[in-house]
This record gives sequence, structure tokens and C-alpha cells, in this order.
Amino acid sequence: MTTTYYDSDKARKPIASEVANLWAHRGLIRLIVTRDLTVRYKRSSLGVWWTLLNPLLTTGVMFLIFGHFFRFKIPGDTPYIVYLLSGVLLLTYFAQAVLASGSAIVNSAGILTKVYVPPEVFSVASAIAASVNFMISLMILLVIQVATGIGIPWTVVFVPIPALAMLALTAGLGLLIAAAAVHFFDVLDLTGVAIQLISYLTPTFYPLSFIPEAYWWIIQLNPLYSYLTVFRQVVYGNAGAELWMWAYMFGSAVIVLVLGVYVFSRSWRRLVVLL
Amino acid sequence: MIEPAIEVSDVSLEYRLSRSNIGTIKEYAIAAMKRQVKYESLWALDGITFEVQQGEVFGIVGPNGAGKSTLMKIMARVLPPTSGRVIVRGRVAPMIELGAGFNSELTGFENIVMYGTLLGRTPERMRDRAAEIAEWADLTDFINVPLRSYSSGMLARLAFSVATDIEPDILIVDEVLSVGDAAFQIRSQERMAKLIEGGASVVIVSHVLETIKDLGDRAMWLDHGRMVMIGDPHEVVAAYEKTVGETKP
Repeated sequence: MTTTYYDSDKARKPIASEVANLWAHRGLIRLIVTRDLTVRYKRSSLGVWWTLLNPLLTTGVMFLIFGHFFRFKIPGDTPYIVYLLSGVLLLTYFAQAVLASGSAIVNSAGILTKVYVPPEVFSVASAIAASVNFMISLMILLVIQVATGIGIPWTVVFVPIPALAMLALTAGLGLLIAAAAVHFFDVLDLTGVAIQLISYLTPTFYPLSFIPEAYWWIIQLNPLYSYLTVFRQVVYGNAGAELWMWAYMFGSAVIVLVLGVYVFSRSWRRLVVLL
Repeated sequence: MIEPAIEVSDVSLEYRLSRSNIGTIKEYAIAAMKRQVKYESLWALDGITFEVQQGEVFGIVGPNGAGKSTLMKIMARVLPPTSGRVIVRGRVAPMIELGAGFNSELTGFENIVMYGTLLGRTPERMRDRAAEIAEWADLTDFINVPLRSYSSGMLARLAFSVATDIEPDILIVDEVLSVGDAAFQIRSQERMAKLIEGGASVVIVSHVLETIKDLGDRAMWLDHGRMVMIGDPHEVVAAYEKTVGETKP
């Protein structure tokens, strides 16, 4: 029952077609997301704990190095481990979502060249899977917040707001990268490098005050700084999120998503032939 | 007025092969600077036009590389045509390259749900149908076993059972699909025959020319992406056989 009426001349309407396609394939998206969460580690001994292990190990190593030698002054006197882990979790989410959704179409070539599924379904489903992973990994942060005594503020109910904004941002970037990766396979390697660079330009393990004030604009220009500050503000409070950061977060999310969908919409026709 | 089930009008499909093997941005940048970005066009299909009426069995013959699979993928919506237009009216069961997306770590049940959903059905419906699908494929005892312990025959049976578990208006069939042991082949052919009797239109690609002659209402001969001949299956097959000699079955 793939379709009841198909006309190859019916042009895609940018954004409208993608939204309709994603809605029509919501059952498939749900399956892909659950499969991503359960199958990936099915044969490994640690199972889903792998999802948590990666950011935890990163945080552990950074905590040992930066927690001891640098003794940063964290805004709002937040315990360093909470500041660090919140940053690592959000940046892991960003990296995973962009890489997974960017490589999703190339990785699904075996399916896309055999049955008709709109390619964007795979890209967006991967970004959603990363966001679900992120929400699960938040449990650890909340446990540590309780353990360190800063507790969990009521604003934690707003965590889905920066999480959804991040989903829009990464899905948009993912679609751009996915379409490009079909043409040039080294796009994915470059993406990995770019993610690493932007991660260092985001105050995950250092506070903004560690940097000379003359260079703050570079960090502030990086949208991830706004996402991270807003996320920290709602998850543990006292992070100094300002109104412009909320605006920058929403603005960049919408612009990147629309841009990604639009560019994808113009290139999808050639995609499967190239796979 | 009854509209045709499939309308293919002046359809062409271009595969671009870059001559200088440009696969990365670096290579592209270097080639662009040297002004050597040249593509070689390969027209897998070149100006194909035909219609398949409702309830008609339409055969396609031709040598390897003629564009038969590409044409089927265009009708199955997998590949959008480079130029020309395709209109398909009705629910399509694409019986080409069965088993897309099978995952060896997942169980038979999970794969039934996933594969059916990839084919455009809902996960809920597939969960309801899974037991019967497995039973028809003789795999009831294996439904909760990961696919990695299936034999290739079992995989083929499962894929066939899922793909045909609908009442399609249009079947797009690659005859290479004849799968499983003799008993299963008979059962799968019976199921196909039932679907055809039910009024479904069928597009069938076969190297077994007898099948095209026996089942087909019309046939088309494809070579190098172009249509050589279309019409009565006996005449088309006879003309095609002349060019390949009598050696082929």
C-alpha cells in the first residue's frame, strides 16, 4: 500500500511536502527511533548504558583535568561537575544529532534504492533518536544536582524548550549535510571536524569569564552558547541566561531548519539516483 | 472512462558518471580549478512511453543492462525520472529486491513490522498481521528468533510473505524472485495467480520468456534503455528470441 496515486510531475512544495511526508511516515519514524535506542547495543554487554557511558567518561576525564588544575570560577557558584556535565550532555546531543542525521541518508542507501520512502524521514528520525537519548541521559545530571546539594529547580519542566530548539537546529543542519554527503562523501569527515571546533568555542568546561572580554563576541556569536546557557538556566538555574539568548536560540533554530528543509527540497530528486 | 493504471510518458533516466572520479570536495575543488569537472551521461532509460491498463498483465523482456530494473524502480516510485512523467493509480506492491531493511539483530516479528512499515503500511496493522504472515511463510516457530539465524530461503519466504500480504491494485514483479524450495514456489505462484485474478494490474520482468507468453496480455522489449518493440507478447518474444538465438531458455 505504498501509494494510491503517484504523479512524478507533481512538484515538491518546499516545507509543505516535507511536513506532509514526515506526518505520513510517523509510524516509521517511531519504529526507527525505538530501534535506534534498543538495537544499537543489543549485542553488547552494557546495553543501553553505552548511551550514558560516553558523556560520563568525557566528563570524568575533564573533571579530573580542569577541576583540579584550573579551578574555574563558575557563574552563580554552581558546582563545577554540574556545570561541566550539563555542557557535555548538550554538546553530545548536538554532535550525535548532526552526525547521525547527516549520515542517515547515505547509511540508508540499501533501503532507499529498493523501496520508496521519502529520504528526509531517515534524517529527521536520527535527530529525534539523539534527542530521546539526550532526555534519558539527563537523569544522571539530575541525580548529580541532588547529590551536590543544588537540587532541581521547578524550571526543569522547561527543559524540553531548549531540547526542541536543538532538535530543530540539528535536523536542519542534518538535512543540509545529508544532501551534501550524497554528492561528496568527505562531507561527513569535515562535519566531524567542524563539530569539534564549535564545541571548543562553546563554554562547556570553562566559564566565559576565563576568556578576555575582548573576545567574548566570538563565543556569543556561536549559537550553541545561547542554547547551552538557556539549558543550564532551566535545568539548574543561576546560569545568567539573558533575553537575547532565548531570542538567538529560537531564531537560529527556525532559520536553520527552514534553510535545511528548503535546500533539501530542491535537491531530493537527484539523491536516490546518486546513492 | 477507465483510466490506465500506469502511464509512462517519454521517461528518461540519467545516471551521471564523473569521468575523473570525483567523490570528495577536495577532488572536486582541484578538478574545478583545472576546469576538468566533466560528467559522462549514461541514459539508463531514453524516452520510454507506454501505458498499462487496469487488470492488464504487462511483460518486459530484454538483455541484462537494458534498463528493466530501472524502469520498474521508476514505476515503484523509488527513482524519480530525470525527464518525462509517470502516473500510477492504485496501491502498488513492489516485488523487486525484497527484504529491504531487514535487520539481522531483530526478531522475525520485529522485521515483519519494520518491513511492512517501510512498504507503507502502519506498524499497528503489521503487528496484527504478523502471526498470519509468519504462518504463511512457515516460520511460526521462528517468529521470535533474530534474523541472523535464518537461512537465505527462510529470509526470502518471510520477505515474500510480507510483500504480498495486501490487496494491491498493481503488482510490479521481478521474476528473479522465484524463491524457496519447490513446494514454496508453487504456493507463491498460487498466491500471485490469485492476486492477478483479483483484478490487479501486473508488470512482470522475466527471463523465462514462456511466462511472458503465457501470462502476458502485452509485452515490451527493452534494449539499451530504449523501447525496441511493444505489442502482442508472442510476437515481441519471438522477435526478441531471434536476436538472442535459440540458446536461451
